[in-house]
Formats: sequence, C-alpha cells, structure tokens
Amino acid sequence: MTAVDPVPVEARLRDIQSITDAALSRLDELGLLAELLDRIREIMHVDTAAVLLLDASSGQLIATAAVGLEEEVRQGVRIPVGRGFAGRIAAEGRPVVLDHVDHTTVLNPILWDKGINSMMGVPMTAGRKVIGVLHVGSLTHRRFTSYDIELLQLAADRAATAVQSMMAQADRVASTALQLSLVPSALPEVSGIRMAARYVPGRGVLGGDWYDVFTLPSGELCVAIGDVAGSGLAAAVIMGRMRSALRAYALETPDPGEVLDRLDRKMRHFEPDALATVLYAVIDTAREQMRICLAGHFAPVIAVPELPAEPVRAAAGLMVGIGDAARRPVTTVTIPPGALLCFYTDGLIERPGELIDDGLARLCRVVTAQPVETACAAVMAALIGSEPARDDVALLMIRRRTEGDDDA
Amino acid sequence: MMPDTVFPVEMVGGVPVVTTPEQVDITNADGLRAALLESAGHGQLVVDMSRTEFCDTAGLHALVAAHKQALAEGGELRLVVAGAAVQRIFAITGLSRVIPGFTSLQEALTQPRSRTGFAPPS
Repeated sequence: MTAVDPVPVEARLRDIQSITDAALSRLDELGLLAELLDRIREIMHVDTAAVLLLDASSGQLIATAAVGLEEEVRQGVRIPVGRGFAGRIAAEGRPVVLDHVDHTTVLNPILWDKGINSMMGVPMTAGRKVIGVLHVGSLTHRRFTSYDIELLQLAADRAATAVQSMMAQADRVASTALQLSLVPSALPEVSGIRMAARYVPGRGVLGGDWYDVFTLPSGELCVAIGDVAGSGLAAAVIMGRMRSALRAYALETPDPGEVLDRLDRKMRHFEPDALATVLYAVIDTAREQMRICLAGHFAPVIAVPELPAEPVRAAAGLMVGIGDAARRPVTTVTIPPGALLCFYTDGLIERPGELIDDGLARLCRVVTAQPVETACAAVMAALIGSEPARDDVALLMIRRRTEGDDDA
Repeated sequence: MMPDTVFPVEMVGGVPVVTTPEQVDITNADGLRAALLESAGHGQLVVDMSRTEFCDTAGLHALVAAHKQALAEGGELRLVVAGAAVQRIFAITGLSRVIPGFTSLQEALTQPRSRTGFAPPS
C-alpha cells in the first residue's frame, strides 16, 4: 500500500478534533451517535455510516444508528456474529475493508440494493470485549487508506464510550423499575402477624435479591426470599420470573419441598444458566407453625421472647439451577407467641475476610422479639450502619402477635 | 466495568488447575468464569480454593457453570477447599453434595473418580 500519507497535518487535526469535540459530550448518547455519524460522513467523504451493537444473548449485531442508511435501523437489521461483513469485524475484532459489495461479501441486502461500492468497518470495543461495529460506505469506488481506518477507529472508540454509558444507564433505569415492581411495595395485612421489610441495593447496582409475601386461599401465609446470581437487568428479569413461578406453584401444591422442586425444574429448563438461592416457607392459619424449605439459602433467625435469638434449625438443600435427584428436606418450626422471624439475604451478614458465622452471630445478638419496625431498624443500624452496602441487602421481619399486643 | 482479572491455568499431570485468590466476588468472577470454562473443555479440572476465604454468589455461579460443562464433557470439576468460610458456603448452598471436594491439591489430582461431596461428611 502507500507509504506516504497524502492527508496534510492541519486536515488531520481538524478531522480528529471534529470527532473528539467536547461539545459532543453535551448531547445524550443517542444524539451523540447520530451527530458522530454525521461528522464521520462529512470528514471522510462517505455516503453511509452505521453503528450496529452486539446483543450478547442472541450473538447478533443489531443496527442502532445510521446516516444515509436509515432503513437499516428502521427495519431492525440483525447480523449474526461471524457472518457477512459486520459479523466478521465483530468476530475477528479488527478492521475489514471491502472493495466490492455483493451477496458474497455482505449479508445485508439493503447495502447492495443501495448501490454501495466500497465499505470499511471497525470494531467498537469496551475493555477487551467487542460491543459493536461502526462501518462506512461509499457509492462510488473508493480505496480506503490506513489513515481512514485510523480515523474511523478513533470515532468507534468515542462511540463505544457513549454506548457503554447509554447501556449502563438504560440497564439501571430498567432494573430499578423492574425491581420496584417486584418487591412488594406494601406488605399484606394478615391476621395474627406483623411484618416489616428493608431492601437496599448494593453500591448503586441492583443485584438479584428479592422477597415476596402472599397468602393462599386457605389463609396460610407464604414467605419467599432469594438471591439470583448476577446483577442489573439480567438478574432482575430472572428474579421476576422466579417470583411468578413460585407463586404459581405455591397455589398448586401445599408442600414447600415440591414447590421448590418444580421451581428448580422450571428454571433449569427455561433459564439453564441461572443460579439462585431461595427460601420458601408456609405459615399455618393459626400462625403457630411454619413449614420451611431451603434451596441454598440461609435459614432465618428466630427470636423467642426472653430467649437469645438463634438460626432456625432447618436442613440445607441445594441451590436452584444445578439439578440433583435428592429432594430438599422440609422442616416444621414452632412459632411461639411474640416470636420474631428474621429472613435475610447474604449481603446482610457477609463481609470479606470474616467468617459467615461471625456475621450470623452479630445478627443473632441484635435480633430480639420486639415490634417489627424497631427490629428492622436495629438490625440495619447494627449490621449495615452508615457504610454503603457492598452487596444487595434484603431483610424481612415477621412476628407472631401476642394477645393485647400493640405492635403496629 | 473494571478489566477482568486474569486467572492463570496451570497444567499438572495433564489436568488443568485453576487457583483462586483470597476473595472471589463480583469484581473477579468474570475472569474466573473465563478461565474455568476454557479449562472445563478438557473435561477434568481442579479448582484450588485452599487460599480462598470469601466466595460470593458470583463466584459460585462461575464454579457451577464450569461444573456443568465438565460433566457435559464427560469429566468432572474437583474443588480443593481448606478454609472454614468457604466450606460453610458450600454446605449452606448444598454445592458440597454435588461438586467433589478435597482437602489438598495432591488428593484432588490423585483420587480415583468414585464419589461426590466433601470428605469427611459433616
């Protein structure tokens, strides 16, 4: 190829400045992408420019922004990674230049119908991962130079930063909305029982902690709490599906072990990569007994009036999402009048460099058979304090009322 | 996202061995998962967690994914677990019953395949 670059230094600087212009950052991310594509088209004298973003779950590139090629976006073009022009760039993670465009080199018929003659594309990367492809096209024959590639890569890096921030923002907004819709906004009014709860996302990123409280037609009270591995929108979506499935199985069968077994089978079939801990318990109508089953989750702590709190002695069962022939054991626990049950997720007691049992002991020292709101406040103050939690924390307190009890 | 931690894979007698650090959590679980899944392609795989004192759900997720892949390849994932904290997590989650655990790397590399779960049972 050419050894001497024909582009004068001033022109180069102007080009680079056009792409790295600080004014661009004042636009929102989609606006920035559109403006960036416009500038690329202008300074590189090309006819089309487009951004395709990788959808990791389907392994496809999806047309997200385009100029001179708007139909790509409007028609929702999808290109599998590894196939066609953009697919090859994403698979190999390096620039590709095409000097003829037809069905042998390009998968998307819009590009050949358009009469594009020459194309050049570069990967958009974040960290070491390809997150998308930026490509430009010329209707007339064009030999793209190494300078063109360099300039396009610079623009792709800029676009990748914008897209990353856009996706993180969208993920945050969506998962927050989803999470809020999933964790009960108000706990149900139930005879013989008082309840209070806390939910705190860790480090501003929502994890997959959730809890649920509902009654059955029989009047029994069901309690579920769990932790889905992962964070953000992906974990929140799985959490939502688990919550609905568990409610459905709870209506079908009275045995908590069977409910978790069905939930596990459902998850392994439809979400084979998901992994979660779940606790599911059914409290009888007299509120005297609880049947509890654990799937890799911590047993609740129980505080009986006048006695020190201790973890409920319930046998451990395997987490959801692994699969094993063994049935999870169900334990029946007596709830004396005035006793307080404390359900929680690992974020409450786990600290790096500390044994879980130390965290658990700290929790037991704080939990006493007192009104539920006071108990929640005391536990959060003692175990979380003013530090931002490193992991999600979900806490649910359930207390059996005593006669003349004024726990409100 | 922070760049992923890279976990070296050491071959010992033809078996890949991945050694985990003191803490395995959301900040390094992606790197661990990549190393484990690559190694699990061989079927047999040992994860040496004897230095590990903390492992959260993200770490467990990586281990379970590799365990499933190793099984699918006709092999198995073996854990070396020494710390009480990690042993406790595997007991609570029930993983100690499905992923074979050993108290030393030597044992994990030499024991014939016959059993699952940690020894001695507690």
